[in-house]
Amino acid sequence: MILIVGGAYQGKRGYAKKRYGLDENDIIEGDDMQNISSAKCIDRFEKFVYENGENAVKSAEKLLTENPEVIIIMTEIGSGIIPLDKTERRRRELAGQAGCFLAERAETVIRMTCGIPQLLKGESL
Amino acid sequence: MFVLITGGSKNGKSSIAEKILSAYAVPGYYIATMEPYGEEAEAAIKRHREMRSGKGFVTVEKYTDVGEIVLPQGSGALLECVGNLCANEIFSAGQEHPAYKILRDIEKLSETTEIFTAVTSQVGSDGVSYPKETMNYIGEMGRINSGLGEMADVVIEAVFGLPVVLKGELPSCL
Repeated sequence: MILIVGGAYQGKRGYAKKRYGLDENDIIEGDDMQNISSAKCIDRFEKFVYENGENAVKSAEKLLTENPEVIIIMTEIGSGIIPLDKTERRRRELAGQAGCFLAERAETVIRMTCGIPQLLKGESL
Repeated sequence: MFVLITGGSKNGKSSIAEKILSAYAVPGYYIATMEPYGEEAEAAIKRHREMRSGKGFVTVEKYTDVGEIVLPQGSGALLECVGNLCANEIFSAGQEHPAYKILRDIEKLSETTEIFTAVTSQVGSDGVSYPKETMNYIGEMGRINSGLGEMADVVIEAVFGLPVVLKGELPSCL
């Protein structure tokens, strides 16, 4: 599994397409649960987290057994003010925990900032 | 050595800080700044206590004025976390601009210890415009983080559990 992370609009999806030769049809969104175990690339993985709530990490683990070669794109959402709303607050925590789980399992982790890829884990960009 | 750990929420900052403290200091002092008010604070405190159990840390609870803490010369300490400390100084102790004072307090702690790690957080990256009080908090945190970054020998950003070095060299225990 390959994990691409970064803030919103930092070039994550564009980099995934260029680097791994994907086109739009290869990419689904994180809440498309029907196609999740066969997709080449899952964008907006935070939506998968919201969809699975408290089971997010467990569901992610199951996903990786079914689809071990998947490319996952996830937006970092934990670097702001703690949300006032309890549900939002919990979602943000679960997104962090799921991200840590994915990063631990990933062969390669890339972080995008201003369109620039940075290798956080793995052999090469 | 002063190691500053920053990063987003639930990104493994504490795990990294605890690893460093365990590797270099026995016993290490764990300075806990979170005020135990409300269900979620209690849950967070419980989670962190479980993470620390068996690691031989001595917990010191101090919600403001961390410069008053006296530690044995040459010991190791971990301050967890600057975000709470700053919120406590502003909202509980009523100091509108505590950045400079917090920097002095932390400098004092880092000078008496052999190994000092501080966990801070990034709070200014959600692009939301908040009420005045919250914007002041974000501003103070930015000032504190910049000051700590200058003071620290090593600065690490935790990104989903992975340590990214922003300054200095990655400690060998990571």
